[in-house]
Amino acid sequence: MKDLIGGHKTWLGIAILMAFLISIPFFASDYWMTLLVLILIYTVYASGWNLFSGLTGYTNLGLAWFIGVSGYVSSLLIADHKFFWLFAWPIGALFVGIVSIGVGYILLRIKGVYFAISMVALTEGTRELIGTEYLEPITHGGKGVPFVAGISLSALYWSVLLLALITVIICYKITSSKFGLRLIAIREDEQAAETLGIHTTREKIIAFALSAFLTGLAGAIHFTYQNYIDPSFGFTIHLTLTPIVMTLFGGVGTVFGPAIGATLFTFIHEILWAELTILYMAIFGAILIALILFFPQGLLGWMKEKGILPRIRKI
Amino acid sequence: MTKEPLLRIDDVVKKFGEVAALDHCSFDIEQGSITGLIGPNGAGKTTLFNLITGVLQPDSGHVFFKGEEITGKKPYEIARKGVGRTYQIIRIFPKMTLLENLIVVGKGRERKVMERAMELLHLVRLSEKKDDYASDLSFGQQKLLSLAQVLMFDAELILLDEPAAGINPTLQNELMALIHRLNEGGKTFIIVEHDMSVIMNHCQNAIALNYGQKIAEGSCSLVQQDERLLEHYFGR
Repeated sequence: MKDLIGGHKTWLGIAILMAFLISIPFFASDYWMTLLVLILIYTVYASGWNLFSGLTGYTNLGLAWFIGVSGYVSSLLIADHKFFWLFAWPIGALFVGIVSIGVGYILLRIKGVYFAISMVALTEGTRELIGTEYLEPITHGGKGVPFVAGISLSALYWSVLLLALITVIICYKITSSKFGLRLIAIREDEQAAETLGIHTTREKIIAFALSAFLTGLAGAIHFTYQNYIDPSFGFTIHLTLTPIVMTLFGGVGTVFGPAIGATLFTFIHEILWAELTILYMAIFGAILIALILFFPQGLLGWMKEKGILPRIRKI
Repeated sequence: MTKEPLLRIDDVVKKFGEVAALDHCSFDIEQGSITGLIGPNGAGKTTLFNLITGVLQPDSGHVFFKGEEITGKKPYEIARKGVGRTYQIIRIFPKMTLLENLIVVGKGRERKVMERAMELLHLVRLSEKKDDYASDLSFGQQKLLSLAQVLMFDAELILLDEPAAGINPTLQNELMALIHRLNEGGKTFIIVEHDMSVIMNHCQNAIALNYGQKIAEGSCSLVQQDERLLEHYFGR
């Protein structure tokens, strides 16, 4: 198994997979493209959530805040200020990344369930704020922001493919680095980490802001793809919960778990919806409960435990 | 008295509500010494460790390390200045391998950190288990790993909270021998221990606390003879 991970065959496999993914817009239907775009966006959401919460153990229930804030900034830039989409996206992501340094500085002192709740409160509060009539001249208030970015589905697909790839590489690098180990140490025992000389507050804020930036970038692309954003759409709790469920599905704290979770989850969701339109939510719920009961460590966690995969951090 | 003590506790007070866990406590720790910290349960020993390492802040009084005031500093800052501690209830990182447990606290270049980590695992005779999760170790082995973590960031002053409790005599001897070797190499130790024989056999000095006050200080035999201590500690 180890050969398979480090050997030439792996690189050849990755190269073939990449060539295939890059060439998809030349032959795939719009239906498949749309599905893949969503998978890739959710891969970034789930990996971004896992990068902070999976490693540090701080459950972030405010992923939608990262997505909504960046989505709003980039959408308003495109709609009202005629920014080119390629410039609007990173500005939105940088904005939420920088603001989350301040947010992290305040909220990351709070531990456990209190941190989780405070992030929900932040998300709901921001949604209310953006929807108020006072801010209507800037945010369009509750009416939302419809816009056309003038980007083809292929260009959007390639953009998000590149982002997903970069995100997974960043997660791989971090999880197998000393920085990643310090984040895991925070999860294992924060006070012990602190008395062993680890500047836990700083490490948490860096991971939090990086998570915000990557997730925000995907959020900006997401709403460009939708051509629309409004307060309830941009900050919906689904944008927080779905990536978390995907990560639990694939394996919390692993490198590839969130990507695998996002892919399988989206396909299962799609198939159930197409085949069992009326019952699909009920069946979907039952599958989720079964997964959490029988595979609490997620797919990759389970495979590592059973010895199907080596127990290393690089997977 | 020209030489600066390594650690100076100066008139430290710490109250939890109305109860004074430490009540105007003062003492010095000399470089290169092994000092036993004794006293009944609730005497303030662990509180003292928490104050030295910055986990708790004193209500009044000062803590100096190498002549520099460290009162009010963050735990990680104090650790980086060279103060390391182990806990009474072991607090290693369970779902990390032994090697990772050490690498994570190492400073500097990747290769140097790796070499140092392996060296320390050899020192505590756990190198064969380097890729096991720390949670798979026995209690005594976890104590050794915990000590290795402290050595990993080159702490000069090492605070050990009940290092000998709950481990078998062989491992206990191994641990105490290791402490002596490290002491000869220049490390300073403060040891909290309930087992008086450990204190008598291994420490040069002892400090006795009761109700947060220092009630005796000096060489081990002197402290043991102290009337008040015997009264409190052995219930005479």
